[in-house]
Amino acid sequence: MRRRLPVLVGLMIFAAGAARAQTAPDQTEQIRILLERVQQLEKRVGELETKTVAAAVPTAEAAAPVPAAPKPEMAEAAPAPAPMHQHEQTESQATTRQLEARYPSLQIRGFGEVNFSATDQRSAISGFNLGQLDLHLASALSHKVTYFGELTFNAQSAGYTLEVERSIIRYDYNDFFKLSFGRYHTPIGYWNTAFHHGAWLQTTISRPEMIRFGGTFIPVHFLGVLAEGNIPSGGVGLSYNAGVGNGRGFPINRPGDAGDNNNNRAWVANLYSRPAKLYGLQMGVSVYRDKITLPVNPAGNEFREWISAAHIVWTKETPEFLAEFANVNHRNILTNAITNNQAYYAQIAYRLPWLERTLKPYYRFEHTHTPLSEQVFTNLNLVQSIVGMRYDITNYASFKGEYRNFKRLPTDPRVNGAFFQTDFTF
Amino acid sequence: MSPNMNATYKRVVTFLWTILWASVALHSPSLAQTSHGTDVAVVVNSDTPVADLSLSEVRKVMLGERQYWSSKLPVVLLIRAPAARERDVVLRVIYQMSEAQFKQYWVAKIFRAEAASPPRIVYSNDMQYELLTALPGAIAFVDSRNIRPGVKVLRVDGHLPGEKDYPLR
Repeated sequence: MRRRLPVLVGLMIFAAGAARAQTAPDQTEQIRILLERVQQLEKRVGELETKTVAAAVPTAEAAAPVPAAPKPEMAEAAPAPAPMHQHEQTESQATTRQLEARYPSLQIRGFGEVNFSATDQRSAISGFNLGQLDLHLASALSHKVTYFGELTFNAQSAGYTLEVERSIIRYDYNDFFKLSFGRYHTPIGYWNTAFHHGAWLQTTISRPEMIRFGGTFIPVHFLGVLAEGNIPSGGVGLSYNAGVGNGRGFPINRPGDAGDNNNNRAWVANLYSRPAKLYGLQMGVSVYRDKITLPVNPAGNEFREWISAAHIVWTKETPEFLAEFANVNHRNILTNAITNNQAYYAQIAYRLPWLERTLKPYYRFEHTHTPLSEQVFTNLNLVQSIVGMRYDITNYASFKGEYRNFKRLPTDPRVNGAFFQTDFTF
Repeated sequence: MSPNMNATYKRVVTFLWTILWASVALHSPSLAQTSHGTDVAVVVNSDTPVADLSLSEVRKVMLGERQYWSSKLPVVLLIRAPAARERDVVLRVIYQMSEAQFKQYWVAKIFRAEAASPPRIVYSNDMQYELLTALPGAIAFVDSRNIRPGVKVLRVDGHLPGEKDYPLR
C-alpha cells in the first residue's frame, strides 16, 4: 500500500492538471483563438468580396487577374488589395484619418504623489505631505518640430508655488542632429534626465542626494541650447548631448532663468552608449564647465567649476541596476585654491515573479563627500542606506515603503526613518 | 515483492512521471506559442527606403531610438491592440517587456522629451493595411499568413518569414 501511494499521488496530480486545463482555460489564449478566428473570417470575407466584385464588373475588367496571395518578397510589387464594401471603406478611411498626424497635437500627462515620513531625528516632524503635482505637456507642431513642457505645483507652508521645470522646443533634422532651446534637466549622468519629476517612474521614493531637486551638488536645471542625437557607431549605439547655457545662477541651485548672472556661458557634454547586443545596458560620461559668482567674499567670489560624471545602468527589472559617480572640482580664481567634492550612489532592484510581478524590492547606498576647505558648497556630507519595496497597485499607480539609515557629519548620530509614498500618473 | 515486480513498479512510476511532466510542459503557454506560432512579418509602407534590418535595428526603431528612415521620412510606429498575437510576439521578442512595462516605457519616453507620441494602436488587419498604405514611413507587424499586396516585407537578420532562422515567431 505504501509503495502504491506515489503512483496514486502522481495520477491525482495528472488528473487534476488535465481537469484544470479543461475547466479553466486561459482567457488570453481564448482571446487569441477568437482573434485568429476573426482574422480567418476577415480573409474569407475578403475572398468572397473579391469573387462578388469580379462577377459584377464588366467583362473587360473581369478579365484582369485577381491577385493571388503573394510570396512575402513579392508583396511590394503586387497590385493594390481587393476593394471593400462602400460603408466599410468609408469607416476604415475615417479611422485612418483619425490616426493620421495632426498639428499641433497636444498631449497632457500628470504625475502626483502623497508622502508620509517619520524619523528618530531630534526636532524632525513626522507626518504627511503632498509632494509635487507635475504636469507634462508634449505637442508635435510638425513632423520635425516638437514642444515639451513640465510644470510643478509644490506645497509650501504658505500655499503652493508654481515652477516651470522644463520648457523645450526641439527641431529634428534627423536621428543624428536635433537642436532644441529652452530649460532642461541638465544632461549630466543618468537619473536627472531619466525620471525628471515623475516619482512614479523611479523605483524609489526619492532621488539620490547628489541630484536632489533644490540641491546644489549638480546643477539640476540648465537654460540654453542643446544639440543631441545618435552617432553612427554600429552595435556600440553611441548618442550625445552637447549644450551651451547660462549655467548656475544665484543661489547656485537656480539656473539663471532671467539671465546669466556673470555673463559667462556654461557648457555641458554627455556621451553614452546603448550596446545593441546588451539590450538594457547604458554607460556614459558627462562633463560640465561653468564659472560661479558668489556674493562678495574677501577670499575671492569667483570660481571655475568642472563636473565630471560617469554612469552605468541596467534597465531591465530582473535585476535593475543604477550607479552614478560625479566629481565637482572648484578652483578659486583669485587664490587658485582647489577643492574636489565627490558623490556616488548604487541602486539595485529586482522585480519578483510572484503576485503578477507587482513587487519590486530595492536597496540603495549613497555617499556624498565635501572637504572642509570647500568654499562654494556648504557641507553636503552624507552616508545613507535605503531598503524598500515598491508595489504596483495598477499599471499607473504604485505604493512604496522605505527604511532609511543615514548620517551627515562624523559627530552626528545616525538617523533612522520610515518613509511611505503612493505615486501615480494620470 | 519479487525483483520483477519491483522493476515493473519502477517503470510504471517513471512512465507516469514522464506523462505528468510532459502534460505540464505542453500546457506551458510559452512553449505552445513557440511550437505552434507562425512567423510575424515586419512590413513597411512600400516607399520606405529599407529592405533588410537586423533584429537589433528593428528594436531600435520600435524603441523610438531611430525615428527617421531618412531626413525627410519619419518612422510611424503601428502596433496591434492587446491580446493580438502579433503584439505578443513584438513585446516578447523585440521589446522583451510585459504589457505593463511596455506602457510604462512609452510614458517615460514621452516624459523624457525623446518622442512626441507612442506607437499608434491598430485593431484589425484591415486597419493596419489601410494605415500602412496611407502613412509614408509606417512600420507594422503582420501574421505572415495574412500578408497582402501593396506593402514591403522586410528581411530581419537576413531572413524572410517562413525561413528557418527567422527571429519573429
